[in-house]
Amino acid sequence: MRLRSLRLLVASSLLAASLAGAATRPHYGGTLRVVMRGGAGSLDPADTTQGDSLTNWNLSRLMFDTLVFVDDRGNPQPGLATSWQADPGNLRWRLNLRRGVTFQGGSPMSPYTVAASLRAANPSWRVFPADDAVVIELDSPSPDLPAELALARNSIVLRDGKGLGTGPFFATQSVPGKKLVLAARDDYWQGRAYVDSIEIDLGAGFREQMISLDLGKADVVEIAPDQARRATGGGRHTESSAPMELVALVFARDPQSAEESRQREALALSIDRGLLNTVLLQGGGEPAGSLLPNWMTGYAFLFPSDSDPAKARQSAKDVGQAISWTLSYDTSDSLARVIAERIVLNARDSGLSLQLKPGSTADARLVRLPLASLAPNVALKRLAAGLGLSQPKFANQSAESLYWTEKALLQSQRVIPLLHLRFAFGRNAAVKNWTLERDGSWRLDAVWLGAEKP
Amino acid sequence: MSFRRKLLIVFAFTVILCVAAVTWIVSVATRRAFDISNDERSAALVAQFQHEFDRRGEEIASKVEKIAQSEAVIRMALAVSRAAPDYGAYLNEARTMAESQQLDFLELLDVQGTIISSAQWPAKFGYKENLASAPIPRAAFLRQEELPDGAALSLSVMRKVDAGEKPFYVIGGKRLDKEFLLTLQLPAGTRVLFYQNLGDAFSPQSLIDPSGSVRQTDELSRLVRQVQQRKEEASAIVHWSSDPAGEETFHALPLSGQENQLLGILLVGSSRRPYVELRQHIRSAALVAAAVGIVLAIVFSSWAAARVTRPVEQLADAAREVAAGNWYAQAPVTSSDELGELAETFNRMTRDLLEHKERLVQTERVAAWRELARRLAHELKNPLFPLQLTVENLLRAREQSPEQFEEIFQESSATLLAEIANLKTIISRFSEFSKMPQPQWQRVDLNDVVRNAVRLFQAQLQSPGKPSIECNLQLEASGTVAADPELLHRAVSNLVLNAMDAMPQGGTLTLRTHGEGDRVWLEVSDTGAGLTPEECQRLFTPYYTSKTHGTGLGLAIVQSVVTDHNGKISVRSEKGKGTTFVIEIARNTEKLQ
Repeated sequence: MRLRSLRLLVASSLLAASLAGAATRPHYGGTLRVVMRGGAGSLDPADTTQGDSLTNWNLSRLMFDTLVFVDDRGNPQPGLATSWQADPGNLRWRLNLRRGVTFQGGSPMSPYTVAASLRAANPSWRVFPADDAVVIELDSPSPDLPAELALARNSIVLRDGKGLGTGPFFATQSVPGKKLVLAARDDYWQGRAYVDSIEIDLGAGFREQMISLDLGKADVVEIAPDQARRATGGGRHTESSAPMELVALVFARDPQSAEESRQREALALSIDRGLLNTVLLQGGGEPAGSLLPNWMTGYAFLFPSDSDPAKARQSAKDVGQAISWTLSYDTSDSLARVIAERIVLNARDSGLSLQLKPGSTADARLVRLPLASLAPNVALKRLAAGLGLSQPKFANQSAESLYWTEKALLQSQRVIPLLHLRFAFGRNAAVKNWTLERDGSWRLDAVWLGAEKP
Repeated sequence: MSFRRKLLIVFAFTVILCVAAVTWIVSVATRRAFDISNDERSAALVAQFQHEFDRRGEEIASKVEKIAQSEAVIRMALAVSRAAPDYGAYLNEARTMAESQQLDFLELLDVQGTIISSAQWPAKFGYKENLASAPIPRAAFLRQEELPDGAALSLSVMRKVDAGEKPFYVIGGKRLDKEFLLTLQLPAGTRVLFYQNLGDAFSPQSLIDPSGSVRQTDELSRLVRQVQQRKEEASAIVHWSSDPAGEETFHALPLSGQENQLLGILLVGSSRRPYVELRQHIRSAALVAAAVGIVLAIVFSSWAAARVTRPVEQLADAAREVAAGNWYAQAPVTSSDELGELAETFNRMTRDLLEHKERLVQTERVAAWRELARRLAHELKNPLFPLQLTVENLLRAREQSPEQFEEIFQESSATLLAEIANLKTIISRFSEFSKMPQPQWQRVDLNDVVRNAVRLFQAQLQSPGKPSIECNLQLEASGTVAADPELLHRAVSNLVLNAMDAMPQGGTLTLRTHGEGDRVWLEVSDTGAGLTPEECQRLFTPYYTSKTHGTGLGLAIVQSVVTDHNGKISVRSEKGKGTTFVIEIARNTEKLQ
């Protein structure tokens, strides 16, 4: 009897364990519903008009692969290229391609298609196939080429009229800026994704996304940086990236006089970045005195971000007649608006004249730029390009070189860094195996859907 | 200027004056009526504005009350009163509350006036609002709201929340903008503009109407500045263009805030188009009336002038006829008014004149006969008296001295013959006067006639034993005249003889001829004693003489000759200086054809 009872106990325990395992075990199928704020106008990653944005990067990664990936530490890792070598001087690179990779539809990835794709994205490069590899020749040394190849725009695309990729999903329906429906590829070289399809609604505001999430109409949504804390407090599942988006004031031109230079210094000192972060962003970012965040470089603390209103007032007073600036911002961005309004108040407190001029051409503009790469050098280059600054020249690959290069950019006084924001996302409980990279990118091919009701 | 034209001018002027006066009076009355109506409309609009203002104020007050009494605000008030505020937690609270209550502005303030949360300027947290020292008003008040992109005027309500240890304030309001203006029910022809007073200077961007910004603001800037300076109501007529129909009358009302600061100006505009059009109608009607009046004036004046002047002209014609010698001329009597009476009087006058003339002619005829009789008696008495004496002397001599009778007879016969001859001479003269012949027209040189006459009397002028008379000839007449030389010679001779008789003590006889055009003149002057005016008047009367031995026919003959030559004779004389006879005759060249 006791033995029978023991057997029954063991059997019931095994049954319970197997049932529990079934609830947490990955399984295929289902449609993942994603709602996003940004709108992909074009699915071609090489479309330069769209700029660097996390939305585009995340969408691109669903359909396309790059030759190289960059890990959380900013180091290049093999992607479609299994290895690479540079000639001395870093002017000529050879990348050996992975075999057995096909585009959606079955066309094999060949050195020719890869070379054509890279040439389309980088007209200044000389790219040509060589056996199972592609060779890239450059006009100037580029030790960061592998990290650059990890940028979304360097995704490998078969441009035969449709724009096919080697990624885990392919587009079955696309309404630019509104909706994108993706289906999983069974022949993906890294294995089929768990979900059958992904429906992505584009162009929805943060509030709308949150409502969709709360109503169970969306599985994954974006969360505004200033709402992340509150969203988390509401019991939702949220994830945030490392501070990956730069908020900065960018002047349209260099200082025209020593007085203006001092006034720009005064403006930088007048802005209370701490309050911007704690109050306006609800801690959704970090005060920034540098272009690159401290977690990426380790030296950002050397660039002061604290405000000094007294010193700012004194500087403005020393200059005498205040130069009147206008400040523009993206009128569709409520966070940018409130930050700009606070900056105006801070500037006025210091005796500076700063007038808001929403949406139009102004002396300065408030910008939000995502870091395009986890590799610092590449990220800085892309930031400089996005801010309209001169392209940085690195002496070498050392952190010291990066520091001096960034310092030189800041000393031009064309840009005043303000904050680094985190990307935040919300998901419902049914989304399993959700991982958010440090840069805010997804790995949706690894996600599977549980049975939980929202 | 004719009477008719004068009458026309007077009538036209009177009509124009009357029309102008009526037009002016009507225009003034219309303008006053329009101004009164305008003022009434403006007052109604202002009352409506005030009503809307109050209604909105109550609405806002109700909403602010709700917010002030909400759990969220009470919790916030409690939290703020206990510890330093977490601005981040309240950043969007005010906006959310404002949106829920449909307020444009909402600020949540602590006891020091520090902004805990602001709907209109969320980034302004931590800044202080200037709370008025006056007690919190229950009613809505005007408030200037600072905004990131400028300032706006609001109708606001403030409420105090006494939830915690320290008071907490809620200020909520709605923007006074074009939406507010759109809610006003405007009468036709009126519009409302609103000026937000952000500074002492006029700012065109601050002037709005229900459609938004106002394009032409310069015309209103003066009115706005006037209100800014005086802080009291003002009004002005605004000319938007050269078209007077586009004019508008604007009443500007200052809108003050809690501390009596000028925050806005309400401008109520009333189109003057109805008035201008009415004024133009009046002017057009006046012009038409004036034109019609002038036409009527012409017609009426012509008729009136005809009624007045025709009898006058007929009277004048009759008078001219009378002057021409037609004593029987009559003016027709066409009416019984003054002109008719005048014509009647004229006719009566001509009748009386005719009677008087006939009576005078008879009297003169009698007088002439009497004068003739007296002359004849006088002339005949002189020779008859010697005749009588001679015959009586003959009879006495035959009776008393027959011996001497023959001698006496001889002497008496001679005397009788002489006196009889004298009688014949007298009779022949009278006969000659009665038988003045008609002129026999010839080409005559007047100067020759004068010279011949003077030559005839040359001996008598220089007669020894008598004072000499100097003859002075100034014969300047040129050309010839048609005349009877014999008659003309007789006339000149008579005048020369008269002049010589007038200068018994000697003197100067001057004969002067001259011509001009178709007429010639002869002047005969003496330096004698001269004549009295009475003598001058009667000088040409037949048988009148101022001399003791004259017949009084000489000058009558001269006048007769001159008249027969289509001329006239006149005399001018001055007592003591002499007399001048002037004969003016026509050249009468047509008589020679």
